[in-house]
Amino acid sequence: MKRIRAHLLMCFGTSCLAGGVQLVKEAILRELEKRDLLDEVNIVETGCNGFCANGPIMVMYPGGYFYQKLKPEDAPELVEEHILKGRPVKRLMYVDAKTEKVIPYLHDIPFFGKQKTRVLRNKGLIAAENIDEYIAREGYEAAYRAVKEITPQGIVDEVKKSGLRGRGGGGFPTGLKWEFAARESADQKYVLCNADEGDPGAFMDRSILEADPHAVVEGMIIAARAVGASRGYVYCRAEYPLALERLGKAINVCREYGLLGDNIFDSDFSFDIEISKGAGAFVCGEETALMASIEGRRGEPRPRPPFPAQKGLWGRPTVLNNVETYANVPLIIRNGADWYTEVGTEKSKGTKIFALTGAVNNVGLVEVPMGTMLGEIVYDIGGGIRDGRPFKAAQIGGPSGGCIPKEHLNVPVDYESLDKLGAIMGSGGLIIMDDNTCMVDLARFFLEFVQDESCGKCPPCRIGTKRMLEILERITQGKGEEGDIEKLEKLAYRIKETALCGLGQTAPNPVLSTIRHFREEYEEHIRYKYCRAGVCADLVRAPCQNECPAGVDVPGYVSLISEGRYREALELHRERNPFPSICSRVCMHTCETKCRRTQLDSPVSIRALKRFLADTETEYFSMPVVVEDENRARHKVAIIGAGPSGLSCAYFLARIGYKPTVFESRPEPGGMLRYGIPEYRLPKKVLDQEIRLIRNLGVEIKTNTSLGKDFTIEGLREEGFDAVYLAIGAWGSMRLGIEGEDARGVHGAVDFLEKTNTGEDLARLGDVVVIGGGHAAIDSARTALRLDSDSVTLIYRRTRDEMPVSPEELDEAEREGIRVKYLVTPVKFLTEDGRLRAVTCRNMSLGEFDRSGRRRPVPVEESAFDLPVDTAIVAIGQQTDEDAFRGDGVLQLNRNKTVQIDRDSRATNLPYVFAGGDIVRGPSSVVHAIADGQETAVCIDRYIMQEPDFKYPWTGEKVLDTKFDPDADPVETPRVDTPTVALSDRRRNFHEVEIALTEKQARLEAERCLRCDYREEK
Amino acid sequence: MTASTEKCSCEVLEEELLATLDDQLEAYKGMPGGLIPALHVAQGLFGYIPRSAIRHVSEVLDIPMSEVYGVVSFYHFFTTQPRGKHTVSVCLGTACYVRGGKRVLEAFKQKLGIDVGATTPDGQFTLEVARCFGACGLAPAVRVDEDVHRRVKPTKIGAILEQYAEEITEPEEAAV
Amino acid sequence: MTKIRNLADLRKIKTEVQRKNSLREGGYKVCVTVHMGTCGIAAGARDIMRVLLDNLEKSGRKDIRATTSGCLGLCSHEPLVTVERLNEKPVRYALLNDEKMDRIFKEHVIGGKPVMEYVLTEGMDTED
Repeated sequence: MKRIRAHLLMCFGTSCLAGGVQLVKEAILRELEKRDLLDEVNIVETGCNGFCANGPIMVMYPGGYFYQKLKPEDAPELVEEHILKGRPVKRLMYVDAKTEKVIPYLHDIPFFGKQKTRVLRNKGLIAAENIDEYIAREGYEAAYRAVKEITPQGIVDEVKKSGLRGRGGGGFPTGLKWEFAARESADQKYVLCNADEGDPGAFMDRSILEADPHAVVEGMIIAARAVGASRGYVYCRAEYPLALERLGKAINVCREYGLLGDNIFDSDFSFDIEISKGAGAFVCGEETALMASIEGRRGEPRPRPPFPAQKGLWGRPTVLNNVETYANVPLIIRNGADWYTEVGTEKSKGTKIFALTGAVNNVGLVEVPMGTMLGEIVYDIGGGIRDGRPFKAAQIGGPSGGCIPKEHLNVPVDYESLDKLGAIMGSGGLIIMDDNTCMVDLARFFLEFVQDESCGKCPPCRIGTKRMLEILERITQGKGEEGDIEKLEKLAYRIKETALCGLGQTAPNPVLSTIRHFREEYEEHIRYKYCRAGVCADLVRAPCQNECPAGVDVPGYVSLISEGRYREALELHRERNPFPSICSRVCMHTCETKCRRTQLDSPVSIRALKRFLADTETEYFSMPVVVEDENRARHKVAIIGAGPSGLSCAYFLARIGYKPTVFESRPEPGGMLRYGIPEYRLPKKVLDQEIRLIRNLGVEIKTNTSLGKDFTIEGLREEGFDAVYLAIGAWGSMRLGIEGEDARGVHGAVDFLEKTNTGEDLARLGDVVVIGGGHAAIDSARTALRLDSDSVTLIYRRTRDEMPVSPEELDEAEREGIRVKYLVTPVKFLTEDGRLRAVTCRNMSLGEFDRSGRRRPVPVEESAFDLPVDTAIVAIGQQTDEDAFRGDGVLQLNRNKTVQIDRDSRATNLPYVFAGGDIVRGPSSVVHAIADGQETAVCIDRYIMQEPDFKYPWTGEKVLDTKFDPDADPVETPRVDTPTVALSDRRRNFHEVEIALTEKQARLEAERCLRCDYREEK
Repeated sequence: MTASTEKCSCEVLEEELLATLDDQLEAYKGMPGGLIPALHVAQGLFGYIPRSAIRHVSEVLDIPMSEVYGVVSFYHFFTTQPRGKHTVSVCLGTACYVRGGKRVLEAFKQKLGIDVGATTPDGQFTLEVARCFGACGLAPAVRVDEDVHRRVKPTKIGAILEQYAEEITEPEEAAV
Repeated sequence: MTKIRNLADLRKIKTEVQRKNSLREGGYKVCVTVHMGTCGIAAGARDIMRVLLDNLEKSGRKDIRATTSGCLGLCSHEPLVTVERLNEKPVRYALLNDEKMDRIFKEHVIGGKPVMEYVLTEGMDTED
């Protein structure tokens, strides 16, 4: 009888099943069988583990080792190492991708490690309702000092020296405020605590009151002693029942202990606190309104002066600070101002607590030194953006604050620096937004909030913000007009100047700030009725379609697939994009990143569906309407470059009757599709087939005809061409500019790919290093692997997170055997007799944030090492190929050699010459090139025909008769990914890697679409 | 808000509640700033502040009716309308908003067939928009009575409402 | 309750609490803290507390201390629980539910072996 060595708990939840846990299990069983261990291992299929992001998941006992992201290939190692030899496989255990440490110690987790917990020092440590535990952490010793050991002036001096500034938003020096109140003589003075935390997204004060209420009480006692007040109020919002309860208990127990009441610590100092419960009015966060509310009146602000320090609550001198400010005070008195000022910047001392929310991985309450870089808060403490999406902006300071875009992730978070960017510290709400947030809609949201909360006393706030809101509503509904932005700005400045209180004066800030940093989004809404975030319902039919640069009706063709109506689906696709077959193989499919199905389980596998669809087309093309138009046919249009953009432009022109001519310098049409993308991703026969479709429409393609050599732009004009579309791409490989780059064995990625695509013999490659992290880099690496190479290593100067290439593609490359080294950059190519022999590399580390919002790699000192290689492929970017194109001498170029065009007319400085694709954008995606072609076709037609009202057959939505039941609750079903051929079948050949779904799979997958395009009958 | 769940137009009950109110109002007589705490008491007893309660508050505290009205209407927390047995508050605080709170609200509006601030004709649900109740980490959040439902999706709201619908129908059927 | 009149009174309480709360001197072998701020409660911290107390009662153990505390700040990982065993570093668990708490009680609190797949961190996060 054999004993059971190990129990494997494998997660068979939906997500892990979709991730292939079944295959992993089978692989493990096979390995166990090989080693005759089947009887000694018990495999249990468990339900969902909840850690779906890292599935398939397996827990192994004894020991409870947590394995993640398992693949069938991992089985031999797992069985051999862990089960047989008892050595856990660290590689597969749960790790933080960046630090690679297996068991995190608290300080090693950036969320905790990067924080500086001073005010929150008791969080999670003490039972909030137990005063003794607070006292055990030196609680009330500062109050004792304040009452018995130092003079009131001494307290004021210490607080002044500490540099403490109001944490409620304004940042007014606390010590100074106290000094004003202390100077007044009156029979009664008050100390108030503002706990009316009304900013959306802010919950710092609530957490402090809940976790450590005595810190606030103690701070108030000290303040009362300093200014000579005998009564205090905490004005706390009614929405915080738990905070109210805990604070109430804290006050009661203080009375029992004699810490509140008469003759505190046997002195002549008496002070007591009451709670004033708010009743839901945001404006009561404003100090004069707050006092009116405590007095039992409508919480309307009044003009200042007189300031509360002179005439406050019931006309008496009053000090008002917020919760966090008070919680700082005991620390200052106990540890001294010198200790306090050890942390912070010159003018902003101590720490600041933020309520970090929104699109970050770690949502929560964080305390950091003043002056901490915003990027550190977002990426280190916040753990980066959810789902790996890009950071777009941070909204700081709530409805009075502003936003900070990615260009400024380096901003130190302190009062002055934020002010310079048009934001404010505010009370500490910090909302992180990704590309799914529309900045215009965000501004509208804040204005709606302020409008709703305006007390109505002064017209600028009551009426002015209403007018602003109306304009913003129009813009988000697609009814924006030219001049709206200027109108908003004018109103905003007028309101800022004339409103009565802080609420009104700061109300326009979110609008001004979004206009300042995201003006182009406002313009897109107004001019193009386009919401790039896919948020504004009136402008977005379905998020996937909105995201597609070419505007393909995704839900339309997907639903047609679900009904088996493939020809109609292809026809619909070709309304906006002539290349379903090509795009099903090479498109970046950003449509999937916006799929709402993600909220339910995972996005619809749109590209895989398209691939299935394309493969159903075998004999003739399913085409949308093509119009014969004699008038248009008479006008000659030249297109330079037969890449995706040029061909797309030719296609759309042909559909409205033109017969354009395409000039191509290379022997075959297709551009980068033919010469840049390897055969295993896009077979040439697929490309040829869809190019034939363009030719069938009467488009003439003249190959081996080069601009500058065989013809010129001006020459075309003389030949009678009415318009020219320049779409020659970006074929120049960027150079590293380091020693040895011209050695034999060093290739530019574009050259390397072109040579392999034309079948040129590159002889033996040996050990290959590819430098870069984009598509060209991955394509080069995977191509090299298929040629006569010994090994392929990819080096990238940043980390996986910053790589432009999609994670799936990278995974596939790694599976094929490409080694990837992150944070490595080449310094020098070492040569022997003019031939490459090694690359000297250096390790990098990530430093500050650059303007793209990514951390800039900086060299690690003395980290150089040599990597022996025979071949190096430099894939660090592409630009205009200057040998092929010098702007023909007549076109205006940008500094980076791209061609300048007018955004609306797409014309260059020559009105009859238009441009698009990579020559305008720099290296970009196939679908952007196609979209440019489509858009330019319209521009060219408008230029030639001057018919602004002409209706283009591809614009406007097609009415769909596919069935859809809006009431049916969607069932959670796993997504089907594009299947691929086995690794063993990819060696040394260029056969296509991806394969199509089966019809059954495709139709089921198509049914997963939630049909966001569906609207109730109007 | 405990007593409010017993929605009853029965006059006897209202009389009783008004008497309780009068008792409790004594504590706020002559107290500076006593009006708002007094109104909290009234709202707590009735679940809303009926005209009769306003009159009592005005009389006991010796504050003109108009002033009491002024304060009641100023603060969102006070309401002069009776409410449904269950209050559905959809958070539109920024964190919830950017995570789809708006779509959740639209779904509730459709499902309940009412607008924000209204109560369903059967007196079951009142729909409200909330300004963040501190569950930002769980956005989008919806509060039904005292329960916070986290990460609510438009497709899941039917199931949420059902929980409460069941709760009430059972005892009613038992009573019949 | 006696009034606090001077520093000595404060210090006395401090010493007493530290003695009582210290696992060794308080006669405890394990301390389990459930973090119960609004976020935690909304995420289900009350249920976690209930499971903990149920388990504690069933176990009949007197040397295990169950206590509550406020928000730890990591709201997106609520509910959070800290388990501290005598002479061991405190271990913090995240994203708990009833079953997980049940397992943690049995395997870690009683069994002494942290349930690794639910562990967030070990150690404490304050300066002092």
